[in-house]
Amino acid sequence: MRQQRRADYTEFASARAGHLYRSACLLTAGDTHLAEDLVQETFGRLYVRWGRVSRAENPAAYAQTVLTRTFLAHRRLRSSRERATDTFPDLPGADGGDAPLRLTLMAALARLPVKDRAVVVLRYWEDRSVEQTADVLNVSSAAVRTRCVRALGRLRELLGEDLHEFSRP
Amino acid sequence: MPENQYTDPFEDRFAAALRDTGHSFRTDDPAALAGRGEVRGRRKQLLRRTAVLGGMTGVALVGVGATLLLPADVHGPRRTSAAAGPAATASPSAASPSPAGTFTGDDMLRSLKELLPQGTFSEEQAQGTGSTTPPYARLVFDDGEGAAALGLSVDRTDPGGEQAGQWTTCPDKAVVAHDDCTSATQPDGSRLMLLRGYEYPDRRVDTRWWNAELVTPDGVHVTLSEWNAPAQKDAPVSRPQPPLSVEQLKEVVTADVWRRVAAAMPRSPKPSVTGEAPLEGRPSGAIAKTLMGLLPENLKVTGRSGPGGDYAYLVVDDGKGGSLVQINVQPGMSDVAGDLFRDAEKLADGTLVTTRKSPGEKAGKDVVMWTADTLRPDGLRVVVSAFNTPAQNEDATRDAPALTLAQLREIALSTVWDAGA
Repeated sequence: MRQQRRADYTEFASARAGHLYRSACLLTAGDTHLAEDLVQETFGRLYVRWGRVSRAENPAAYAQTVLTRTFLAHRRLRSSRERATDTFPDLPGADGGDAPLRLTLMAALARLPVKDRAVVVLRYWEDRSVEQTADVLNVSSAAVRTRCVRALGRLRELLGEDLHEFSRP
Repeated sequence: MPENQYTDPFEDRFAAALRDTGHSFRTDDPAALAGRGEVRGRRKQLLRRTAVLGGMTGVALVGVGATLLLPADVHGPRRTSAAAGPAATASPSAASPSPAGTFTGDDMLRSLKELLPQGTFSEEQAQGTGSTTPPYARLVFDDGEGAAALGLSVDRTDPGGEQAGQWTTCPDKAVVAHDDCTSATQPDGSRLMLLRGYEYPDRRVDTRWWNAELVTPDGVHVTLSEWNAPAQKDAPVSRPQPPLSVEQLKEVVTADVWRRVAAAMPRSPKPSVTGEAPLEGRPSGAIAKTLMGLLPENLKVTGRSGPGGDYAYLVVDDGKGGSLVQINVQPGMSDVAGDLFRDAEKLADGTLVTTRKSPGEKAGKDVVMWTADTLRPDGLRVVVSAFNTPAQNEDATRDAPALTLAQLREIALSTVWDAGA
């Protein structure tokens, strides 16, 4: 990669690493080791196609899309079908914030099917619209809505009053 | 907060809690993540010819990168069907027949073995020139000093292109750890890089990875890798160093036979020479090509997606202006049946089919999108959409797409997309 392009990549990646890592932590329901791995893999893919990334209208959104798809591809390779996990994630590396809330929320996210989790993260963390979420996941808008409703229902079941207790004005 | 038709207090609370929680995760060193990403990217470029390494390895930690590196293993036998089908070769700009005969996988193995010193061979795998991905041979070689994985692949590239330059330029030591590396122009004008490096950039295991990259003036790219272990990763080191010296690596990659292999490859764009590959699934260049072969005869193709990328598309013109045609071919999609095919028609073979006319999803004014969506019983989803504009973000330029729903349906249901068709 030519020097300037490499410098551009480095600047972009350094600036986006923190946010992508946080997104990856949510996608992996708090598995910070896997999150780091996903972010590195995402950057690896972005590096390879940097010419295209840098020309994208919104490279940050592009990076987020690659992260989400990398996560889903990873899950797809690990398991041939979607399955929610009951394994409680370990949570090193998180500091500050509301620890009980984090634990509760990550445990609930971990119990969602991975695609539902991706929908939730894109919609409520990334603030993507239904249509944008559908684009990222390569599904229809209707499918996104269905997954979103289902995921919220499940989260309501899992979190219920806990979330209320931790909620902030 | 995403748009809502009504306010759900739980949804609001959840969104707030998710944001709080997300912000509580901190990485110690974002620059290090970026740097390690670059290392992977750099290695992806070095390993791009991919197939050589497949099967030796669980690439890139927990297999995250495997869609890029293990096409044959991940997608199974059907992955080659998109470009190998008869429709592909019948289309106007499709692959021309191999001009110099073909090399089978066995030919590739035999050619490689003839160039190696005395020893024994095992775990042989190879692919010939008849596939959409580059031909390769890989095996475990033992010269008596210990078993070592070794793989070679042949590809074509633009000899003056940036990718060729990257392949044959020694990487920065900070990016790819190595003991030494030389890059030089050969008497015939070829560029050759010889690198003695390590499998793991952080050297957590001392698996050595030695690599030769050759790009000839006419664009033949030969790559050879060897390790001092019987597998690229996750195998104990079996000997102090890989079996071939850098001089021997050079001899193998510069052998004439690989130029003949390159000459036997079908001349078609390949994702491996672009530096870009689809995120998952089949190479979109191959898909676009297959799609071209399935179009009605009255349509002229005026644009198409590149050989890499996430989606394949064509712009077609029936005389009334450009019409964008998008396609996705996705294996393993059975899990969306409930979401996307709830009211679908079920064919005798179990394939689900649905067609719809909907407004365009992007910014273009008055854009309509006509779609045929199909799901095979084995989970292969083929979805084709046509638009009344040459670009989704642009306003409609015609009343209707250039393909009817019936034509889209026929394309999506073509057996060319299926395995072995």
